[in-house]
Amino acid sequence: MANIPIWPGSSNFIPGNTPFGFYDNDYQFQQDADKFANFAARRLGYPIVDVELQDLNFYAAFEEAVTIYGNEIYAYQIRQNYLSLEGVNIANDVPTVNGGPSLAFSQVTPNLGTIIRLSEQYGTEAGTGGNVDWHTGSIALTSSVQDYDLNAWAVSQGYADKDIEIKRVFYESPPAIMKYFYPYVGTGAGIMNVMDTFGWGNYSPAINFVLMPINYDLQIIQQIEFNDTIRRSNYSFEVQNNKLRLFPIPDGTVGKLYFQFLLKSERLANSITGDEGSISNLSNVPYTNPVYTHINSVGRSWIFEYALALCKEMLGYVRGKYSTVPIPGDNVTMNQADLLSSATSDKTALIDRLRAYLDETSREKLLERRSLETDYRQKELNQVPQLIYIA
Amino acid sequence: MALFGGSRDISLFRHINRELMGNVITQQCAFYKYKLEETKVNIYGEAAEEKYYMGPVLLNCLIERTNQEFPETDLGVDFTWGITFKFLRDDLLDKNKDFNIDTDLYGADLVPEIGDIILYQEGYYEIDNTNANQYFFGKNPDYPNEINPLNPGLENFGSSISIICETYAVPSDKVGISRERFI
Repeated sequence: MANIPIWPGSSNFIPGNTPFGFYDNDYQFQQDADKFANFAARRLGYPIVDVELQDLNFYAAFEEAVTIYGNEIYAYQIRQNYLSLEGVNIANDVPTVNGGPSLAFSQVTPNLGTIIRLSEQYGTEAGTGGNVDWHTGSIALTSSVQDYDLNAWAVSQGYADKDIEIKRVFYESPPAIMKYFYPYVGTGAGIMNVMDTFGWGNYSPAINFVLMPINYDLQIIQQIEFNDTIRRSNYSFEVQNNKLRLFPIPDGTVGKLYFQFLLKSERLANSITGDEGSISNLSNVPYTNPVYTHINSVGRSWIFEYALALCKEMLGYVRGKYSTVPIPGDNVTMNQADLLSSATSDKTALIDRLRAYLDETSREKLLERRSLETDYRQKELNQVPQLIYIA
Repeated sequence: MALFGGSRDISLFRHINRELMGNVITQQCAFYKYKLEETKVNIYGEAAEEKYYMGPVLLNCLIERTNQEFPETDLGVDFTWGITFKFLRDDLLDKNKDFNIDTDLYGADLVPEIGDIILYQEGYYEIDNTNANQYFFGKNPDYPNEINPLNPGLENFGSSISIICETYAVPSDKVGISRERFI
């Protein structure tokens, strides 16, 4: 087989020379691809020594570096904004870039959409909102029957067995106001005496012409409630596995007992939302590859360095496929170990540097810095003598 | 099919060897190939008159020198100096090989044999032994043992890396090489 050509000293990039072709039609990328190949070859020792790579290797490294740079930037953006992006309809709400939806050039204003959605579960359980319906049901009480199986009731109503979860039972003692005028409750009789004194005792007890302060009514009601609590049976209940036990045992004047419940199946079903077109995880947040032309010199510098590290790595693998290379009468050991260790440390350092840089520009850090600046500025302004103006 | 030692790997080795021998180490020698057909022999098969050589051809090589020795014999003090010249075999193959055809530097088209003369630093060294048994992965692609249906294409794997010539110094007056004719 003929000699496999290695780097001859120059190259001429044409679209299609990169493995993926993400940026092949970007004029700036085309220009920089050849410049980078030249740069990388020289950094690897050419023309003093041969570099056993081809232009295609340099282009592949260059393309990968641009993609990794974009990935780091956009992954960071996703982490910053994911709470505000989850659930967004990609087709309707995301702008179009180069024919496809992309947030590459969008500013994302934080919103509480996901936070509220995450909080709906608490609203559901507390009965103050949420995303699961509370249904209402009633069961006829039977005199002298203390226990009622609400599961059996649910099945009789067409719900699945054990699918209901009781959220509220309307089984309470009558409100004290209902006994306010009750003459035998032992309270409030003072009104009648007063009316008798005034000569109005022969009127109906429901008609009261004595203007009493509201705190008097409140005290009467509290007295009734306290009396019922201490001297009478409390209205109470237990619900265990949807088995309802009432206290006190219903007597002859029973009616219907109302309660509210939710369906466990609805709770599960309502926790799944979204469709194919919405953002549901990190993988479908619509960030496309970066537009190389728009990457600034800071970014391009990082890309060149990272691509060089990739070239080192490639060259290391090329030279290291065999631990030694045969020469006439002997073997030589190439510098693959140095190349690989250098490439690995370079890549790690570059990624760490970029991530640190991104962390320093996070929304949190920027606000923190702005707050500090404000504090320091205020502290400095306080050094200026404050004059007292007398009008 | 073998997995290692394919033609791409061998091409890499060739690149490295040629860079190493041509640009880094840069040891060279001139090779005079013995023209057997033009040399007259006596009844004992020895050269009866002059010897004729082709060349010289300038070659990159690796040179391993031993110390000069002056053994004493019945005829007096002798002089021996052995040098080993190591050639990249691909450099010595013919010009039409696809790895030699695109360059003027390689493709000498010669096979070192006993009796050939090597000129090195104004000294002449006659080959008294050659070795061409440095096979990469122990495989010489010239012998793929075709046709093997289980392993087709074995001629594309392995490599015969070198030809190593062991020589001894011969006095210049004994060789007496002079240009025979102009081409």
